[in-house]
Amino acid sequence: MSRTGTMLSKASDSANKLTKFHVEGPSDGVGSLEQKMHQLKLQIQAERVISVKEKVEKNREKVEGYVSKIISETARANLNALSSERNRSFKLFSSRIEQPLCRISGFVRGCGEKDWIENQEVLFSSSTKLPLADKIPPYTTWIFLDRNQRMAEDQSVVGRRRIYYDEDGSEALVYSGTDDEAEEPEEVKHEFSAGEDRILLMAFQEHGLGEEVVELVKEFIGVPISDILARYNTIKERNPEKCEHEGCISLDKSLNAALDSFDNLFCRRCLVFDCRLHGCSQPLIYPSEKSHWSGHDENREPCSDQCYLRLSIVTSERESAPGSSINAERPSSHGGTGLLHNERSIPGEAVPATSEAIHSSHILKMHNENIGKRKVVKHTDKVANDLTIVPDAFQGSSKKQKRLDALDLVTATSEPIPVQVHISRDEPRDVTEVPELRQTSKSTCEQVEGIYSNSEWKPVEKDLYMKGLQIFGRNSCLIARNLLSGLRTCMEVSSYMHNSGASMPNRSVVGPSSFMEDNVKSDMDQTEQEMSSKPRLLRRRGKARRLKYSWKSAGHPTMWKRIADGKNDSRKLYTPCGCQSMCGKECPCMSNGTCCEKYCGCSKSCKNRFRGCHCAKSQCRSRQCPCFAAGRECDPDVCRHCWVSCGDGSLGEPPRQGDSQCGNMRLLLRQQQRILLGKSDVAGWGAFLKNPVNKNDYLGEYTGEIISHQEADKRGKIYDRVNSSFLFDLNEQYVLDAYRKGDKLKFANHSSNPNCHAKVMLVAGDHRVGIFAKEHIDAGEELFYDYCYLSEAAPVWAQKPEGSKRDDSSASRGRAKKHQPL
Amino acid sequence: MGTHKVCEKIFYFFSCLVEQKFPLFGKRVGLLVSCAADMAAKFALGSEPVVGSLAPSKKKEYRVTNRLQEGKRPLYAIVFNFIDSRYFNVFATVGGNRVTVYQCLEGGVIAVLQSYIDEDKDESFYTVSWACNIDGSPLLVAGGINGIMRVIDCGSEKIDKSFVGHGDSINEIRTQPLKSSLVVSASKDESVRLWNVQTGICILIFAGAGGHRNEVLSVDFHPSDIYRIASCGMDNTVKIWSMKEFWTYVEKSFTWTDLPSKFPTKYVQFPVFIASIHTNYVDCNRWLGDFLLSKSVDNEIVLWEPKMKEQSPGEGTVDILQKYPVPECDIWFIKFSCDFHYNAAAIGNREGKIFVWELQSSPPVLIAKLLHPQSKSPIRQTATSFDGSTILSCCEDGTIWRWDAMESS
Repeated sequence: MSRTGTMLSKASDSANKLTKFHVEGPSDGVGSLEQKMHQLKLQIQAERVISVKEKVEKNREKVEGYVSKIISETARANLNALSSERNRSFKLFSSRIEQPLCRISGFVRGCGEKDWIENQEVLFSSSTKLPLADKIPPYTTWIFLDRNQRMAEDQSVVGRRRIYYDEDGSEALVYSGTDDEAEEPEEVKHEFSAGEDRILLMAFQEHGLGEEVVELVKEFIGVPISDILARYNTIKERNPEKCEHEGCISLDKSLNAALDSFDNLFCRRCLVFDCRLHGCSQPLIYPSEKSHWSGHDENREPCSDQCYLRLSIVTSERESAPGSSINAERPSSHGGTGLLHNERSIPGEAVPATSEAIHSSHILKMHNENIGKRKVVKHTDKVANDLTIVPDAFQGSSKKQKRLDALDLVTATSEPIPVQVHISRDEPRDVTEVPELRQTSKSTCEQVEGIYSNSEWKPVEKDLYMKGLQIFGRNSCLIARNLLSGLRTCMEVSSYMHNSGASMPNRSVVGPSSFMEDNVKSDMDQTEQEMSSKPRLLRRRGKARRLKYSWKSAGHPTMWKRIADGKNDSRKLYTPCGCQSMCGKECPCMSNGTCCEKYCGCSKSCKNRFRGCHCAKSQCRSRQCPCFAAGRECDPDVCRHCWVSCGDGSLGEPPRQGDSQCGNMRLLLRQQQRILLGKSDVAGWGAFLKNPVNKNDYLGEYTGEIISHQEADKRGKIYDRVNSSFLFDLNEQYVLDAYRKGDKLKFANHSSNPNCHAKVMLVAGDHRVGIFAKEHIDAGEELFYDYCYLSEAAPVWAQKPEGSKRDDSSASRGRAKKHQPL
Repeated sequence: MGTHKVCEKIFYFFSCLVEQKFPLFGKRVGLLVSCAADMAAKFALGSEPVVGSLAPSKKKEYRVTNRLQEGKRPLYAIVFNFIDSRYFNVFATVGGNRVTVYQCLEGGVIAVLQSYIDEDKDESFYTVSWACNIDGSPLLVAGGINGIMRVIDCGSEKIDKSFVGHGDSINEIRTQPLKSSLVVSASKDESVRLWNVQTGICILIFAGAGGHRNEVLSVDFHPSDIYRIASCGMDNTVKIWSMKEFWTYVEKSFTWTDLPSKFPTKYVQFPVFIASIHTNYVDCNRWLGDFLLSKSVDNEIVLWEPKMKEQSPGEGTVDILQKYPVPECDIWFIKFSCDFHYNAAAIGNREGKIFVWELQSSPPVLIAKLLHPQSKSPIRQTATSFDGSTILSCCEDGTIWRWDAMESS
């Protein structure tokens, strides 16, 4: 860079002088230019030779250092040997040196080109035999995959040359690669070297951009004029290196920028970063329905000494008469709960009755009742005091409160007791704490002032706060702790919440599904919403609801048809749609012919959704089950009774509906058999079973690299040459290739009378190949399945005997292309 | 990324593909014809390599001092022992199912020390390397078409171990000079594997997502950076691998007492550097300090500097510094050898001639051209002695030639 910089300035100096010259006699200038360019070229080349020499020289010094180390190592081996030579040793070797098997004399003076050399045959009087070692069948090194992986771009063979030599030697070798489709002659963009840049600069800055000059430069470098001019402009404009600040997230960036890597690298289907199956930069799907935080926040202990609960002590103190002992004592006696309401009761706050606020008020009620009942505390009257304030604040929302009372009964009733315990424990401390509290409250007072006035919220903080609202609701403790830790204290968050409270309803980020509207919405369609947010609650009282669900538990009528029609064998790739409303004609899932799945953005009541099954006891193992019939595995998120247990139930698993676990989630849960790899009885390698299985048992998944059909055609040609292909048709878009990545099942051989069959299943939106037992298989038996090659394309060993048309309705209808080296 | 572009550019100079018959392992070999003029044109101004001149410098004169006929089968490898300073004049050859140990004596005399023969007649050894047992006794590690590595204890003249694991033939075996019980093997199964000959453990497998896409033909340990190896093969690339992150496994392999098969062999899937400097099979690569020497079937050895990008492994650029022309060296599986100090490299060609290049001078100097009317068979491999005064070659026709530098009279 610096060199170019100086060049630039130097050149521009001379450019001024030369323009004059250029105007006077262009032909002259151009003539000299050619010469100059040539000189510069020679100079650059000479410089290069020198720089290479320097590099080689430097390297030579390094080599010397390296070699000297190695020399000492060879001597050390020598020493080691000497010490051990006495006890044990390799006498044979040293004795051979003294008495070689034979000695072949040479020509001391050496032979010239004209001397005829007699052949001196080496005769081996004695040779040591190396005993036979068992060979293993050939294979190409492969990587184990427990799930399919999409091909990385650099793995593609499309458009690459490959040179072959013939295995048998009889046929002419040579390269193939792009024998069928004409390879697009890719426009290779010329890369300008530093040397060429120098020539460009010199020529144009000294001679201007005249047509002749450009033409000459073009001739000289041999690159189209447009490229040259573009390059010249870039060099001219090249600024000193821009400093890029990297490292911590800049707080001035917006949250969206900061979340970029999360949005691009996180797979929402697999819940992992850098998903190898679905890839990066997937389109983001925002669910049209949002569930909101329903965590327990009954435990309203101050989260830290910067908690807004403490802040509200202050505010309440300020509001009430100074020195009111009641108020001062209150915080500790109530464990903070009461204070929450103080904060909430700030004018203007009563309107957005968040569920949380209601919740806590409710607890307070319970709490107070309890206190009252038990008459534990002497502060009863103080509490009563509180009680009079608090309900006032919530009168506006009392209607909802009642509703929620009932809803939250389960959680709420269990709460007051620990709180109360807490109260009684705290009591003794109260007296001593009071003065201290006052002091601190003063300082907090100042702090509060500060918070209200200063410290502008940075964009990212605001965004984080908004996200926090989405996730946790108006709970500044949780927002501060989880999202703004280290940036903002709970107090600051809380005050920001108050200040921005007015502008809340028209928050743009949160959009139409802000938590408040959510609340209303959730009231309206609780049936849908609560499935995800409060599953336990629902299950317990699910009887009435189950009836409601029954009508939509199966798939959409058109889907049913598709299954019944048997058209399901043309498997289509599912890609989640981002429809925010009901899916209509423009929905990609619809037009693609796939069902909407749980990963789609559309609402759960979307007509195109696959609703899963509601098989109660059948374990979903027959076509009675809509999932099974559709070639899908059940999904515990979608199906009504298909559940997943943890362990064998010995851990006190609560009883579930349905007799036993669903039997149609075997790929999802990886309930596979142990497969062993061994020498096949038929050809090459084979896959064997460790334990006996029954008919229809799931054995394992055929995993591999997911490649396009175009890529598969290419690879197939390469594989066919070595008669070893591990391709498997997955769906209309993709083929599985287990050649370099896969699992042991790739070694299962073909048979026209197999003991297994392969079936493509849709598991959580992805097509996967499962291998299932066709009959009872004993332990240690080799596994075979029908590769189902298209008869015309099949290799000799896989061709079906004529006239035998097997019913392969249960087998994969795909054009399985896998076979095994002979 | 730059390297890819360079590579694509080069491709256009090879529009003519010619098929010619040249035996390798009994098979024909495809050739790419390239012309030197075109080759020079592809380098941008200011980044041209320095090409050595084929005019002999007559720095040294080598004369044939011995010639042996070792059976009829082609000899694929010949190598001096650089592991143990007592045996610097001992060398080994492999060909067919035979491994032979010789010693170079004064006056052109060659002594036959040991001879081993595999009971499997179909075995065809392609490569052999010297290693060292824990007690200091010399080991030979040989591999070939069967894919089995044979570890021979020369001290007791017995097979020490056989490593089964490679899925196909083994094309090259090299020994770590600083830790001579570590060997690395390159195989047709597209993997490079690191073995501990002391304990019989396969420690690491260099293959997978970033691995070679075709047979691996050559591999070499960095002379000083013990973590680093370079491999090249039929996918036309040279890959540099680092085992730094896996070094605990290497250490573990020395103290492993359980069955070797129970060792947690690790896959190294991503190289730290990939160079596409050749447009055809790359059949030999060797470190020269921190630079690399590699050759394809383009009648030349190339010296280049890998310029790594620290932040993004796998990417980086190549600076091609020097070229050492080798006429009629356009079939694959011809390997060169260096003396202990890397002063010279000797390489044979398809017509039985040997070119000895001074490696570390710029521009490169051709030390000598070794030819004899009776040497016409392709030379698969050469061996250069410790000080470079003796050069051995092993040929397709089963002959071994010994050339000694003559004292200038």
